[in-house]
Amino acid sequence: MNLKVEFKNVYKSFSMHAKQSQKLLELFSLNKKGKKEKRFQAVRNVSFKVFEGESVGIIGLNGSGKSTLSNLLAQVIQPTSGNIDIYGETSLIAISAGLNKNLNGLENIQLKCMMHGISKEDIKRLTPDIVKFADIGDHIYQPVKNYSSGMKSRLGFAIAVHTDPDILIIDEALSVGDSTFAEKCLIKMNEFKEKGKTIFFVSHSAGQVKRFCNKAIWMHYGEIKSFGDIQEVTSVYQEFIKWFNNLTETEKARYKKESLEEQAVLSHKDKNSRDTAFLKNIAVILPVILFGVLVVLQ
Amino acid sequence: MFKEIKQVLQEQFQYRDLIFRMASFEIKAKYQIHYLGAIWQILNPSIQIAIYWFVFGLGIRGGNPVTTKLGEVPFFLWMLMGLIPWFFISPSIVGGSNSVHQKVSLVSKMKFPISLLPTTKLFVNSFQFITMLSLLFIVLFIYGIYPTLHWIQLVYYIGCLFIFLFSFALLSSTIATLVRDYQMLLQSMMRMLLYLSPILWDPNGDRVPDWISNILKLNPFYYILTGIRSSFLGESWFFEDMTYTIYFWLFTFALLYFGAKTHLKFRNNFMDYL
Repeated sequence: MNLKVEFKNVYKSFSMHAKQSQKLLELFSLNKKGKKEKRFQAVRNVSFKVFEGESVGIIGLNGSGKSTLSNLLAQVIQPTSGNIDIYGETSLIAISAGLNKNLNGLENIQLKCMMHGISKEDIKRLTPDIVKFADIGDHIYQPVKNYSSGMKSRLGFAIAVHTDPDILIIDEALSVGDSTFAEKCLIKMNEFKEKGKTIFFVSHSAGQVKRFCNKAIWMHYGEIKSFGDIQEVTSVYQEFIKWFNNLTETEKARYKKESLEEQAVLSHKDKNSRDTAFLKNIAVILPVILFGVLVVLQ
Repeated sequence: MFKEIKQVLQEQFQYRDLIFRMASFEIKAKYQIHYLGAIWQILNPSIQIAIYWFVFGLGIRGGNPVTTKLGEVPFFLWMLMGLIPWFFISPSIVGGSNSVHQKVSLVSKMKFPISLLPTTKLFVNSFQFITMLSLLFIVLFIYGIYPTLHWIQLVYYIGCLFIFLFSFALLSSTIATLVRDYQMLLQSMMRMLLYLSPILWDPNGDRVPDWISNILKLNPFYYILTGIRSSFLGESWFFEDMTYTIYFWLFTFALLYFGAKTHLKFRNNFMDYL
């Protein structure tokens, strides 16, 4: 079996003080060396391997790092440290499908396919299939701003599955569509599985995941709590949910607080040398100033 | 030192088809929501031209023509030669700077470099620029101003304009994504620059001391706008003032250098800053 996705000790952390001035300093690489910074680790020390033809459910509570993980998989964001190897093209389907609201459905199909790097001829060939799959009738000629959220996710899903990705990442997009559409998507996804493609399915509901995944990852406060066969993972997950729901309110709050505190860490800024960069910058700026003075003195 | 610049420019060249196609979609989306559609791109600047001519031409100048090296030129014409490029410059600066922040969430997963976003915006705006420029040619013919050898310079100056706007937008779009206040600052800067550039009045006239007009010349738009105007009027060639030309190109190069560098440094992490 071919390896499709490999995560090696992946960390993703976000800066916790959202002070604008800090960003500005970073932009001009002026921040103090070795200064301590408070960061939130949304994903920490995640390692796993996924092979061709596997469908993996990613489950976990709200804020457990599921979406960060799916964004990392889709290469929308880059890891802070660690390695991600992905063999093949990925396609992310999220509720906010990234459609241009002023263009109509057909134009959005063209635009999105184009941005996926599909050739003009292929777009022509694919468009009827996409329209048929989305199944939103004459609304396809309407601007997307008039769509309901269900229609948007239908169109987004239809485009994404037709761009022929090797790895499909579905981030709770199905929960917006009605059950008839969800059924259609499940059929399509099973088709994908049969073709040997890899699917990641992000959801907080263990039931949905169980329906068609054969493996699962349970994310818990940024870490992988359990990874393996779908039955094992969902049973421990559901046990945890049962245990957690039986706690008193104060115990729940304490548990959450302690877990979140673990995720907040202090880290040192990299001490990278910026001396040569500094000299280069001067070499670029100095002539501008020199000639600026000459212009003024003319 | 040139590695970053080369990479960014190569991307523009490699994906030039996509830039055109994305720009045409954006133009479509922009005008589809209005009843008058694409007519707005002429109507909107025309209304502004009328009001500027009324206030500055009639109100302040009392209808007097502008004195140039080669004699008198009607203020209306003189103003048009500056205002029409400005109608391209101003939205390109503001829109180009906003382009990455506006679109990065849509495109971060797509198979093309983010550095195309500022360029696409530039192409969207140049659609209107070309229309207005052809209207300007018609007006010039009506006034009896015909092409001379100096008009060849227009190619040079419009080239300058595009390269400058690209360099500026590249740097600016990175800063604007990281620090949102910058966009506000830029908007008021552009409003200020309209009056500090030779568009509605001539800073080279007798009313302003030389040293002040020399400081105003540091604004790179000054170089482009006077250049375009002197090409139309046949006043001078760009190589006659080499110091100023070198200054302009060094300035543009610095923008391009820092633009390419910061863009490549931050582009993988733009999503983290939204």
